[in-house]
Amino acid sequence: MSDDGGWLNRYVNTLPERGWFQFLSKYVVVPYWVWREGKPKLPGGPRPSQQPSDSTQRMMNLLMPLKDPSPIGRAKAVMALAQNVDEIYAGLDNVGTVHSARFLLVEDYICMISVYDGDFSNYIRDFIATIGSVFDALMQVVEGGDKLAPCEHNVEAFIDWVRAHDLFQAPDFPIEMFGLQDAQVGKVPNHPPHALQTLPRALILQLHANRNISLGGGYRGYPGFSAAQIRQKLGVGW
Amino acid sequence: MGVVEEHDGWSDVRGMAVRFHLAEGRSTDLVSMTLPVFFAPTPKTFLDFARKARPARCRRETPWEKIKDYLRLQLPMPDPYPGQTERPNEGAIAFANDHFWAQAAVLDASSIGAPVSYVRADYHAVHTFVVTGKEGEKRQVRFTWAPVAGILDTDPLKPPVDAYLQDDLKKRLAHGTERFTLMMQIGEAGDDFEDSTRQWPPHRKRVMMGTLTLDHVPEDQQALCEKLSFNPWHLTPGIDPSGDPVLKIRKDVYAYSSNRRGGIPCPFSGAKG
Repeated sequence: MSDDGGWLNRYVNTLPERGWFQFLSKYVVVPYWVWREGKPKLPGGPRPSQQPSDSTQRMMNLLMPLKDPSPIGRAKAVMALAQNVDEIYAGLDNVGTVHSARFLLVEDYICMISVYDGDFSNYIRDFIATIGSVFDALMQVVEGGDKLAPCEHNVEAFIDWVRAHDLFQAPDFPIEMFGLQDAQVGKVPNHPPHALQTLPRALILQLHANRNISLGGGYRGYPGFSAAQIRQKLGVGW
Repeated sequence: MGVVEEHDGWSDVRGMAVRFHLAEGRSTDLVSMTLPVFFAPTPKTFLDFARKARPARCRRETPWEKIKDYLRLQLPMPDPYPGQTERPNEGAIAFANDHFWAQAAVLDASSIGAPVSYVRADYHAVHTFVVTGKEGEKRQVRFTWAPVAGILDTDPLKPPVDAYLQDDLKKRLAHGTERFTLMMQIGEAGDDFEDSTRQWPPHRKRVMMGTLTLDHVPEDQQALCEKLSFNPWHLTPGIDPSGDPVLKIRKDVYAYSSNRRGGIPCPFSGAKG
């Protein structure tokens, strides 16, 4: 909000919305800061925690790049899933820790968005055990997937691959971004504290390293309850 | 942090105090504010913060300073509002730059905005309380009032209006009711129960406790609003304060403040104002 700061002040206040300044920022200012203090990519998935509600309803946002993003390549990806719908539903029922899961085709990615309970690595292991054949079919249409099939013979490599393609989950409280960036380069988080004014830069540089991110941990209608607890309470199995 | 003069349209923290009148003449208070987190973990550190964040003379950044900020991928300080000569922002930010525990509250307070209505903001009791269940089990909890009408702030790019919140409430309640939902978040081992600078993750278990319905604004604002005294320690059996040292000191601070402004004494108003 401007008061009587004169035309120059008013003009400067609108700089971030002006095309020429956005061009300058995109092609000069941001690359300069990336060169000067660029951030390493932050890992995907939920962060380790011992607390009970942190290990229920975890979010997975898996972005798998399509080998062939043309309509034919996309159709192959759709078919790989469409031909395995029964396997997916039966497998997820048997995993027992999944609240919801769905596949999306967005731009050049096939995405699996799911909500699950428990440890990430065990979730992927359960997946391989129950719907490994679906992922084998999927890996044929995904960039870099050839090396991973069959999943059951490449369990650890497959887990690493999924972790690398699961989106970084931005902290629920913005100020925690500083600490995550410190920890990623081996520094003690917030020692010394960062200047508050530098938070926009920290975010911009992180978004340069992690182009796609999950915005926070996500909303939960009934947080802290596992799929098994809900099923038991509702009398629908397990 | 805060300015004594009221300016409804300025970005600032707002408060709400509720007294629940219970059976057999008992009552319990819930004192809350629009900021979800506090500035300091202890009374001593809060005093340090308050001294540094005392409203001080403010000025508009020059255009060149603003350009320098943009080139550093930083946001310039907002221009002062028309007629604004002092504010706490610069002092609070300088303090937070040296004290990580103050950063969440200072960041939130700096960007909190002005609600379009008292009933379009959420209000947080911020401190941890200990509630006892039917079987005697104790849980550490935090309370928040969530507006049923939804949260909405004024447009910060438009000139601020100085006084509208009281009139807005009167107009709204002349035509109907407005409601808040009371949400209770349950803490877990490992969460900070005694430090209100540390927020709990939003995916902790939360319980919908009930609804507060507002149906009128009392005519006599002096007697039925300004003179009232609340105290976060005025609690009914089954709800206890946690060991949060800031919550502990608020008991006497509220009583002192009540005496000093000649309020209707709260249950702890033994202290002289």
